[in-house]
Amino acid sequence: MRVLDLSTERGLLCGQMLGDLGADVIKIEPVGGSPVRQLPPWLDERPGADNSIYWLAFNRNKRAITLNLESAAGRGLLKQLVAKADILIESEEPGRMAAAGLDYAALSAANPALVYVAITPFGQDGPKAGWADSDLILMAAAGVLILYGDEDRAPIRMSVPQAYHHAAADAAGAALIAYYERLASGRGQLVDVAAQESIGLAGQSTALAALVESAETQRMAGGAKLGGLRVPLVWSCKDGLVSCVFLFGSAIGVFTRRLVDYIFAQGACDETMKNTDWIGYGAKLMSGEEPLANYEQAKAVIAEFLQGRSKAELFEIARANNLLIAPIATIEDLRENPQFAARQFWQTVAHPDGRRLTYPGAFARFSATPMSIRRRPPTVGEHNREILGGELGLSDAELAALAQQGVI
Amino acid sequence: MGAQALAGVKVLDFMWVLAGPGITRSMADYGATVVRIEATTRTDPIRTVGPFQRDLVAPESSALWWNNNAGKYGMTLDMSKPEARTIVLDLVRWADIVAEAFSPKAMRAWGLDYESLRAIKPDIIMLSSCLMGQSGPLARFAGFGNLAAAMCGFYNLVGWPDRTPSGPFSAYTDYIAPRFGLAAVMAALIHRRRTGEGQYIDQAQAESALQFLAVPIIDNAANGHSYPPVGNEDLYHAPHGVYPAAGEDRWIAIACRSEAHWRALREEIGRTELQADGRFRTLAERRQNRVVLDMMIGEWTRNYTAETLERRLQEAGVPAHTVQNAADLAIDPQLAHRGHFVDPPHATAEHAWVENSRFKLSRTPAQIARNAPTLGQHNQYVLEQILGYSEDRIAGLVADGALG
Repeated sequence: MRVLDLSTERGLLCGQMLGDLGADVIKIEPVGGSPVRQLPPWLDERPGADNSIYWLAFNRNKRAITLNLESAAGRGLLKQLVAKADILIESEEPGRMAAAGLDYAALSAANPALVYVAITPFGQDGPKAGWADSDLILMAAAGVLILYGDEDRAPIRMSVPQAYHHAAADAAGAALIAYYERLASGRGQLVDVAAQESIGLAGQSTALAALVESAETQRMAGGAKLGGLRVPLVWSCKDGLVSCVFLFGSAIGVFTRRLVDYIFAQGACDETMKNTDWIGYGAKLMSGEEPLANYEQAKAVIAEFLQGRSKAELFEIARANNLLIAPIATIEDLRENPQFAARQFWQTVAHPDGRRLTYPGAFARFSATPMSIRRRPPTVGEHNREILGGELGLSDAELAALAQQGVI
Repeated sequence: MGAQALAGVKVLDFMWVLAGPGITRSMADYGATVVRIEATTRTDPIRTVGPFQRDLVAPESSALWWNNNAGKYGMTLDMSKPEARTIVLDLVRWADIVAEAFSPKAMRAWGLDYESLRAIKPDIIMLSSCLMGQSGPLARFAGFGNLAAAMCGFYNLVGWPDRTPSGPFSAYTDYIAPRFGLAAVMAALIHRRRTGEGQYIDQAQAESALQFLAVPIIDNAANGHSYPPVGNEDLYHAPHGVYPAAGEDRWIAIACRSEAHWRALREEIGRTELQADGRFRTLAERRQNRVVLDMMIGEWTRNYTAETLERRLQEAGVPAHTVQNAADLAIDPQLAHRGHFVDPPHATAEHAWVENSRFKLSRTPAQIARNAPTLGQHNQYVLEQILGYSEDRIAGLVADGALG
C-alpha cells in the first residue's frame, strides 16, 4: 500500500498509523520543509527542522520528499506519484486543494482508484467550513470542553492538544474501509473527516442529551454531576491521587460491593454500609428512597479509606481484589509502569543525529503481521533522489535543475 | 442505496462498555453484519448509563447504548448453558471477525480464546481489546477507561495549577481506543483478503491511547520537561482561553494563534490603547501578563452572549467558538449540514437519536438502517436467518433457556 501524506499537524498521525501497519508512506513537504517542523517543543530547546518534537512524534515509518506544489512542475510530479498511489492524505482548509487543482475531482481523474483523505476542522463544506479554528476551538465546538474542569470556573481543555489526533486516527480507519471496498470495486473515493465530529466522541454521547430530552451533564472537578449526584473520579490518597469508581447498577455495583466488603474487612465501615444493596443503590438515590446525605456519608467513608493508604498500596489492593482503583500517573510515572515495560511498549527511534529517542510503540499487537518501526522520521527531502530519481526516473541532472527552479 | 463498503463482512461482537462497541459500530455503519452478543447474566453496563431518553432510567432508554450499538443485531445468550456455546461456535464458523472486550481470562474460561477459535475456523480474525493488554503483570487488571486514563497520565493534563487536577471527562481512553481498534481490524481484514491468513490482535486500550501523548512522552524522556496542570494556558499562543459570556454557564473560547488574530480581537474589544500597551506587544509579553490580559478580555466578553461573540470574532477572522452544550449541538448548523444526528428506527423508542458516522465516504456513505438492538431483539433472526436453525431447534433452545 502506497500512501502520499500531504498533511500538516492536523493529519500526520493518520499517515503514521498506516505506516505502522506496514504501508509505504511518502511525506510530501514544501521546499524547505513542512511548517510542522517549526512547531515546538524543541529537542534540547534548539529550534531546527529536525528538532521539532511534534514533527518527530508523528513521522516515523515515513519517507520524505519536497515538492513545490505552487509550481506546475511540482504539481506534475505529484500527479505522477498519485498515479501509483493508493491513498492520499491532506489537511488543508477546504477549497485550497481545489484552487491548486489538486482536489479529489482533479486527482481522481489521474487515478480513479485513489482514496483521497481530507482532514479539516469542520468538514469540506457547510456554514462553518471556513471558520478559524484551533484545538481549543474544536473542543468547544464539539461539546467536550463544557464537560472539562471545575464547576466554579471556566471549562478547561487538555493541555496537550488532542482534537486533531482524534480526527487523524478516525481518518486512518476510514481510509482502510475505503481501501477495503476498493479491493472489490477498483474505485477510490473521497474520505471527509471533520475534527469537530471526531473529538465529539470524547463527550460520551452527552451530545444527545437535548435531543432525547435529558438533562445537560454538568462538569464537576474530577467527575460529573448526574442529577443531584456528585460522582467523583479523582480522590486523594496518602501520597497523591487515585482514580476510583464508586458507582452502582448491575455491572458496576459489583465492584462497589467488593470495595465496601474490603473496607468492612479492614474495620473501616459499619455493618449497615456493608449490607447496603449497591446494585440497586443508584435507582434508590434517583427515586429519592435513599437520601443523598447517605450517599455523601458513604463517599466520606471511601475517601477516608483512600486517604489512609498510598497509591502503591491501593493499586495492590485493587489488583488483588478486582477493584476499580488506579493511581493517577504523571508523564514521568509512565516509564515506571511495570506493564508497559513488560510488554516492551516503549520503543527507541533514531533521531537524524544518531541518538535514540523514546516513543510510544505499537498501538496494537498482531500475531501474523506485527507492527514495527522500520524508519526514523525523515529529514527534509531525504528521499528526493530515491523516489523522484529511482521511481519516477528523473536523472541527477533533472533533479538538480528542479532544485535550481525551486521545485524540489 | 448502493452497495456498502463492508457489505459481506461478518462480525461476531462480544464487546461491551465503550471502547470495543465503538469499533463494531463503525463497521456496522459501513455495511458489516454485526451480531452483538449479550450474556444474560451480565448485560452491558452501558445500558445503565445516560443520557436516558426523558431521563427515564431503563435499559432500552440509554442514548449512550444506542449510540454505541446502532446498526447491530442483538442476541442474548446464557453462557452457562452448553447449547449457548454451540450457538457461539456456529457463529464463529459464520464470522470473519470475532471481537471481544472482556478481561483476558473471560474468553479463555469460555473456551473461546484464539487457539480454540482457530481450530474451528482457521482464517478467523480475532480482536481482543482490554485495558492494559493480554500479557504483562497488569493483564488481569480490568476496569473502565477512567482507570486507563489515570495510569496513562491524562489526568494531570486537565486542571488548574492551584488545584487538584480534574482530569478528562469520564473514561477518556475509551474514546481514543476505538479508532486504533478499527484501523487494526481493517488492516487484518485487508491482509486476509490478500493472503487468506487470519490472525489475532491484542489491543491494549492504554497503548492505543498513549499515541495521543507522543509529544509529552518524547519531550519528557529527552528534555525532562514536566506537564503539570496549566488551565487553558497555551505555551505558544496568547490570548488563549475560555471567557465568560452573558448567561448561566455560558462561555466563549478564544485562541489567538497569530499576531493578526490578536490585532483583530483588540479591534473588536474596541480598546485601541492596548496596541501600545507594553504589557501585550509581543507573544512573550502577552504570555507573561496573561492573567491581566485574560481578565480584561473577560470584562468585555461578559457583556455579550456567546453567540454574538462567536459571530463577531469569526467574522473578524479570530478563532472563537461558543463552548457548546448539548442544547447548542442540537441546533449547530454545521452538524445539521453534515447530518450528524440521525434517528434510525428503534424497536420500542421513538426518536432514538444517535450520532452519524464521524467521517464521510463519498461513494459508499454510512447507512444506519437500524438503531441499537433491544435485549435479545434478534435472537430469532440470528438463529433462523444467519445460522439456518430449524423452527424446532429454535423452540428447543428457547425452552432450555439458552437464550436467557
